[in-house]
Amino acid sequence: MMTTKNGSWKIRYILLLIALPVLALLFSLCVGRYVVSVPDVFRSILSRFNENIEVSKLAYITIWNVRLPRILLAFVVGSALSCAGLLFQSIFRNPLATPDTLGVAGGSSFGAVLSILLGFSLIPLQLVSFGFGCLAVFLTILAAKGKNQSMSTIILSGIIMGSLFSALVSLVKFTADQEQQLPSITYWLMGSLQSATYSSLLIGLIPIAVSIIILFLLRWRLNLLMLSEEESCSSGVNMPRLRMVAILCATVATASSISMCGQVGWVGLIVPHMCRMVFGNDHRHLIPACVSFGGTFLIIVDTLARSISAAELPISILTAIIGAPFFIFLMRRKGGWNL
Amino acid sequence: MKLEIKNASFAYKNGRTLYENVNFSVESGEMISILGPNGAGKTTLLRATMGLLNWKSGGSLLDGDNIADMPASKLWSKIAYVPQAHNRGGSYTVLQSVLLGMTNQIGLFSTPKEKDIRFAEETLDRLHILHLKDRLCNEISGGELQMTMIARSLVSHAGILILDEPESNLDFKNQMIVLDTLTKLSSEGIGVLFNTHYPEHALRRSTKAILIDNGKVQFGATPSIITEKNIESAFGVKAYIGQFETEHNMIANVIPVGLTKDEEKTEANEEDSDVLATLSIICSKFEESERINAILHEFNDILFGRMGMPHRKRNLYLISVNLDGSKERIKMLAHQLSVLPDVSCKVTYAKEEES
Repeated sequence: MMTTKNGSWKIRYILLLIALPVLALLFSLCVGRYVVSVPDVFRSILSRFNENIEVSKLAYITIWNVRLPRILLAFVVGSALSCAGLLFQSIFRNPLATPDTLGVAGGSSFGAVLSILLGFSLIPLQLVSFGFGCLAVFLTILAAKGKNQSMSTIILSGIIMGSLFSALVSLVKFTADQEQQLPSITYWLMGSLQSATYSSLLIGLIPIAVSIIILFLLRWRLNLLMLSEEESCSSGVNMPRLRMVAILCATVATASSISMCGQVGWVGLIVPHMCRMVFGNDHRHLIPACVSFGGTFLIIVDTLARSISAAELPISILTAIIGAPFFIFLMRRKGGWNL
Repeated sequence: MKLEIKNASFAYKNGRTLYENVNFSVESGEMISILGPNGAGKTTLLRATMGLLNWKSGGSLLDGDNIADMPASKLWSKIAYVPQAHNRGGSYTVLQSVLLGMTNQIGLFSTPKEKDIRFAEETLDRLHILHLKDRLCNEISGGELQMTMIARSLVSHAGILILDEPESNLDFKNQMIVLDTLTKLSSEGIGVLFNTHYPEHALRRSTKAILIDNGKVQFGATPSIITEKNIESAFGVKAYIGQFETEHNMIANVIPVGLTKDEEKTEANEEDSDVLATLSIICSKFEESERINAILHEFNDILFGRMGMPHRKRNLYLISVNLDGSKERIKMLAHQLSVLPDVSCKVTYAKEEES
């Protein structure tokens, strides 16, 4: 579909991928319980660099300290989860694979709730959660390694590891103090971008950025993942190694996202399918598209989550409410699934 | 280029030996078929040959080097594999799918460049499927998909192609297209090794054949391997190999007539006495006459007189040779000539003398 696209297609593709998140950013900066007009948004942004521009203190703080870190977090998490979902779908050649197929979400959640139980502050919580997410996937791969290693063994051992860790999460919930810890554990598990700060964002951003850059550089080779084992080995590329690098990058990106804002469902499933539908199956186009579409999607959903009602909605509820009907619409239009 | 299997044996993980003492080779320009009943291990033989499965003993040598010690990228730049085409290639376009065959030549962090795309398009054009380049692999016909996979194996510049049942599940016309393509590639100097379910395809197309018969892997010139006796032994089917005359050639035909019953053991072949025959050859490409001369030279022992005449006006070459030798050997010569793409040839045998 895309190999022979001409120059003008390429320009439109790049413009679209840049325009979408920029427009979503602008929209999200304006909208909320306190509405900021578009000129005020620009004035607040510029006033940081030029002291001559005057703007109300409230608008300045809303934009710089409240909304911007949150929007950036939404973009980073949306991009990371979409790329991870895309990769897992391709690696397992399974349209139902999601970022937590290998149990990463269970591991990260356990790390986080354990930290809440132990009363850790935000940054250590993030690190512990990230560590446990990676540990879960490592255990999954270790469990699946052996004589008859195949893709379905890995998926199966991922399911086992995922439910093991969610049992551990339940155990922590069971022992938690019901007045304070349990509500904050439950709230964390539902996912929220509320706690975004620049420093936590920076810690989470580095592993995500590194993973996505590696995946982007490997974008042509990633296409081999979707061929059958026999076909891809005849290309002469070391497939087990490529697959392992892809799994590592996707895991690091997912664990890092979950450690920042809890579990955000659906993004990693819907956005890659949406991108495949628009751009075909070539990872050269899919990786940038997932970064842009995934980020935009989560910015919009998070804006809705914090503006629809006076109390903020947990983001997973909204992604599911938006995601499920949208998914059904896509599925019916395409007439069934295949990759 | 020469891929050689030496004294190899293969055993399953559970220890059961599938075959022992496997010896065969594929050289540039040869077309070699593998025949055997279902479950005899045809695909396994291919996979072990390429190192996708490990031999229990012995090994595959590529130009003298054991492929087990060869880095994957080097091995797969010399041989290419076309597996059975069930997988629909993840809905890539034909061109994308072919470009994936070049991944090894594209840098680790790089994407296909203009010249790579041009080469892929030239390859598609060479197989006459350039018009399909923007179609999705899951929307083209089985024959077109098979041609796409062959194109993908060609862009890696491999000297030896290994194909797993390339013409299965295809209709008459597409079987013809695929087999003609393989014949053409082998006449251009590529070594072709393929599995097939059709003894006729082996007889008509391959210079040499491999037959897997109850754990025994036989290898030799096609007419000496694909015989009524061997077919009966390997497949348990009583079959007749006949000759069907067309305007150009005598075409070998295998007609199965029934299952073999255990008590009906085949009796030994009757003694093969020498016969007289003439062989007439028309070569429709003047340049091909060199090859024909080389083949005739190999059969000097049964040749006693030849006449060759170029017909320059039509760019033809006409040859007539007289033969005196065993029927087996004469058949072998006729076979080697008839697998060439631009040659018509027929044998006429003298009436046998009463003794």
